[in-house]
Parts: sequence; structure tokens; C-alpha cells
Amino acid sequence: MWGPNTITYVSFFIALYFESFLLVTFLSEPARKRRLTERNSNTAPSVAIIVPCFNEENTIASTTESLLKLEYPKENLSIILVDDGSTDNTANVMARYARHPRIFIHTKENGGKHTALNAGIRIAKDADIIGCLDADSFVEPDALGFAITAFDRPEVMATTSAMSVHAPKNLIQHMQYAEYIFGITMRHILSSMNSLYVTPGPFSLYRMEVFKKIGYFSHGYQTEDMEMALRMQKAHMLIENSPRVRVYTKAPSTITALIKQRMRWTSGFLRNMLFEYRGLIGNPRYGVLGIGVLPLSIFSIITVAGLFLFSVFQIISNMIHMFIVSRGIPLSYILTPHTFDWFYFPITTLLLVGIVLMSMTIIFMIIGKQISRTPGKLTKSTASYILLYWIISPIWLVRAIADTITNTHHTWR
Amino acid sequence: MNTITRNAIIALGITLLIVGTIVYTVHYINQQRLSEINTMQTQLSTDTLSLETQFALLENAPCQDISSDTVFSHGLSTLGDKLAFAEGRLGSRDQQVIELKKEYALLEIRDYLLIQKLSTTCHITPVTVLYFYSNTGDCSSCDRAGYALSYMRKTYPRIRVYSFDYHLDLGALKTLIEVKKIKPTLPAFVIQRKRFYGFTSLARLEKEFPKDLFATSTATSTGSQK
Repeated sequence: MWGPNTITYVSFFIALYFESFLLVTFLSEPARKRRLTERNSNTAPSVAIIVPCFNEENTIASTTESLLKLEYPKENLSIILVDDGSTDNTANVMARYARHPRIFIHTKENGGKHTALNAGIRIAKDADIIGCLDADSFVEPDALGFAITAFDRPEVMATTSAMSVHAPKNLIQHMQYAEYIFGITMRHILSSMNSLYVTPGPFSLYRMEVFKKIGYFSHGYQTEDMEMALRMQKAHMLIENSPRVRVYTKAPSTITALIKQRMRWTSGFLRNMLFEYRGLIGNPRYGVLGIGVLPLSIFSIITVAGLFLFSVFQIISNMIHMFIVSRGIPLSYILTPHTFDWFYFPITTLLLVGIVLMSMTIIFMIIGKQISRTPGKLTKSTASYILLYWIISPIWLVRAIADTITNTHHTWR
Repeated sequence: MNTITRNAIIALGITLLIVGTIVYTVHYINQQRLSEINTMQTQLSTDTLSLETQFALLENAPCQDISSDTVFSHGLSTLGDKLAFAEGRLGSRDQQVIELKKEYALLEIRDYLLIQKLSTTCHITPVTVLYFYSNTGDCSSCDRAGYALSYMRKTYPRIRVYSFDYHLDLGALKTLIEVKKIKPTLPAFVIQRKRFYGFTSLARLEKEFPKDLFATSTATSTGSQK
């Protein structure tokens, strides 16, 4: 009974239900109230923003400059650049800012991103809010003001931002631009149900008490931002999202680099979930995150990877069958295109559900761009996404599952 | 009821509505396809009857107005292709498909008989092929045979292929199988009244056709009608 076809139908139904649920949640009051929240410039707690760096000579200057342009009371903002044992020119680029009154530079032996973040937190021990910004990301001047507004609610322990891709150039980056814009809407909606399970490296802010209560960053299978968010969720801490906090990150420009990055993210998620936070899965004590988001995320990774492998098998089988069937028939006949007739157009339930799902995804992208007011055009990026994402993404899912099963670890870069 | 539960219920309603609409749309399109096949069959049935009547009326000098390359034959093969597609979509057990297949088989038999009559009376020499296949898994080379016959039909317009599902529960078809003494060794062919079983290659199949077919026909890939 549970053949590939049944699994496909069930997966499509669940995907459709989940997207409908997200759409309804987007339109409901909690999410509406959040995105309509205006910036409150009356509060300005002391903030320390940590930038962990490892071989970021090309981007660290732009990242630092963007932080210096933040519209925030200068006396309440400090920037901590942590050089995690870079072997390139990062230290020299950082040295340019050594005399800046708001910038602290800390150099340490290489120990991984989480150790660099922890070193920064120790330096910023007097700050009320700790911000983290990857050294290949840049913030808008008003980003911190909007982010801090989220902390007006005392129950909010961390807030995430609206990430997008910085200056996409090729199709791979355009595809990611659309994906990130889609992610803006996802994070906004999920945060309205406290269901975020990642506080991404590009500009997430935490109350200092988070680290005091649940500890500092850990390795987290190379996904320290995900591990921290899961640990916060386990401790029933509220993670907010501010869609108006715009941050731009450099996206991989080649398929190889992209697959490597996503394999790290996906296998990190699977390992964290299966080995460290299994108790959250299906647990109603963690609300929508426990009974919906986490189980569905795992289910979607496994089914997409499985159906992808099955599709590849089917395509190869069909090609072999076609080769056998047409053996001996002249190529001129085989390759002659048939006259188009609407009668033969393969309109199936799965095709139509797929079109609805894709349309909803595009709607989410448009929403993401609107609520974050992210610059750039969606048309080319959406086309790249539709064209490439369904082919490339299953590759990293399959490989991440294989890595998790075989306990294979890769280097960061 | 809290907001999340309410949203979950509304989302379920929306999902069921979307799925329901899609299922209805696909069903509607499939019905339209069957309806189109039905209309084509009715048209072809009328054409066959007209040709039979025409033949009867011109009993004394029928041949001057009847040629072997009528539009009828082309329509029959197009109908066969569409019926095979519908069968692939709806499954060979679909009752509507089975009924349409029966009507199609009847049309083919009538056309075949008419062509036999014409070839005797009017000295027209079409190359007729009765092809018996099965979709029930007892014919491993039927796909290859069907594809090879499609190629031959489109390349040599003189060939008229009549395809029959060997297991179709139709009296006329069973009689045809009996009359032609077709064993259940599939695929089975009757090419110019000669029985032939199994399929190994196109070259081997071509040997069963009259040699003049290849000498006088211009091979085309479009199978255009005169």
C-alpha cells in the first residue's frame, strides 16, 4: 500500500496543508500585530555585536563599516571583532579599526565559530544584548533599532532578522535570493507561534541572560546557531523575528559550494534533532514546533530525498525501457517530435497540486519582500528558483542523510 | 479555541477545498477526453456505415469512387492512439475505457472486413496487419512490437494496422480470434492472412511483409495521406 505513489500523494497533501496553515497564520492577528510593530527609539539597552572571523579578508571591512553606520546611540553600542586564528590577511584588515573607540579586536587560536562567539560574549560581559553577525554579512543602518524593539516585550529572549542575499550575480545566487526571501516570510510566520529553531549567524540578538541561564554556544555539529535556538526552545525561551531588520549575506556562487554549505546545515539539523534534541520531536509541550514544525522538517528531508532517488531511478528505468522498445527503429523516427495535441497534455493531480504549491511559494516570496522591504527584483530570482531548486536541493538532502547515517563529517569550507 | 487550533482547522478546510477542486478538475478533463474519444468513435462509425452503404449502392461499379487511402483509416489510428493514452491514464480496468475499447475493436473489425471486400472486388492491395496484444503482463515484447508497428504504419501509409487486446471480453473479437486461429502466444500478428507469433526485431518483422511494400512505398516519417 505504501508505495512511492502513495508517499508522493501524502507528501503533497501535507505540504499543501502546511503551506495553507502558514498562509492562514500569516493573516491571523498575532503575526499581523508583529509585522505592524513600529520601531521604538525610546529604548536603547547596551548592545555588543560580535563578529567571529576566520579568513574573511575580503568582507570583514564591509561588515564592520555596515555596523559602524548603525543608527543607535554610540555610547550603548560596541563591536567586537574576533579573529579565530585566520591565516589570511584578516588580522591586518581588522587592525585598521584598532583605534576605533567602539571596536574591540580579539585574536585567538583557531577553535571554531562557537569558540569565537563565546570569546566575544566574555569580552562583552556588561552588555544587556548580545548580537552576532557573520563576517560575510552586512546590516542596514536601521536594523539594530528595529531589532531592539522586539526586546520591549520582556518575555522575548532572542530575535532574528530578515536575511537576503547580497548582490546576487549568477543563477545560483539568484535562486538563493528567492529562497532567502521565502525564508523571511517563513521566519515571520513561525515566530508568531514561537516555532523558530535557528537563530541564524547573520544578525541574531540575544539577551545576555540567555547565556547565563542555558550556557554559551557549543559546537552543535557545525550548526551552533541552530543548536543554541533548540536549546532555547527546550528551555521554553521565546525567539522572536523582526522582518524589518534587514541583513544581507554573501551566498555561495557555485553549486559545489552551495551543496557543501547546505549539507552542513541539513546534517547539522538531523544530528542535533536525532542525537541531542529528540525529546522535542512530537512533544506537545513545545507547541507547534514540537508537534508540527520539527516532525515535518524531518519528514520533508527524508521524503524529498527518497522521492528524488526514486525519480532518478524511474527516469533511468524509463530511458532503459525506451532504449529497449525503440531498438532497431531509425533515430529519424524516434526523434521526430509529435504534433502537439492538448489531448495528450499530462494534466495530473500531482501536477496541479505542484502548481498550487509553487504558486503559494511565490506568494510567500512576494510577501517576504513586501514585509521586509528588501531591495532587488524577484522575477529573475523566482525563475532561477523554479528552474533549479528542485534539482539541486535534493542532492544536499540525500548527501546530508548519508553523512548522518555514516557519521561522516566535513570541514567548514 | 485558541488561534493556532482555529488556523489549523481553517487550513484543513482550505486544503480539502483545493484538493477537491483539483481532483474534480482532473476527473472533468479525463471525462472530456473520453467524451472526445466517444465523439470520434461515433463519427467513425457513421463513416464506416456510409462506406458500407456506398459500397452496397455501387455494387456493380463500386471501385471508381472508393480508394484504399480514405481518411477513415487515418482517423482510426488516431483514435487508437488516444484510446491507448486514456487507458494509460485511467487504467485498463476502468469500465468506461473497457466499453470504448470494445466499440473501437468493433469498428476495427468492420473496417477490416470492408477493406477485405474492397481488395477482392476492386483489386486494391492494402497491407493489413491484425495485431493481438495484452496489457496483463503476459506479453513481455508487446511494447516493442507496438512501437515497431507504429513506426511501420507512419512510414508506409499502405499498411493498415488493427490492434486488439487479446483478453477483451467481446464476442466479435473472440470470433475473429477463432476464425483466424490465433493462439494465446502474444504478441500475435496476422500479416496479409499469414499468422506470425512473437517479436524479436523490426528487421525480422519486416520480413513478414510483402516485398513490394518496401519497393513501392516512399518511406516518410510523417505518414501523410494522399
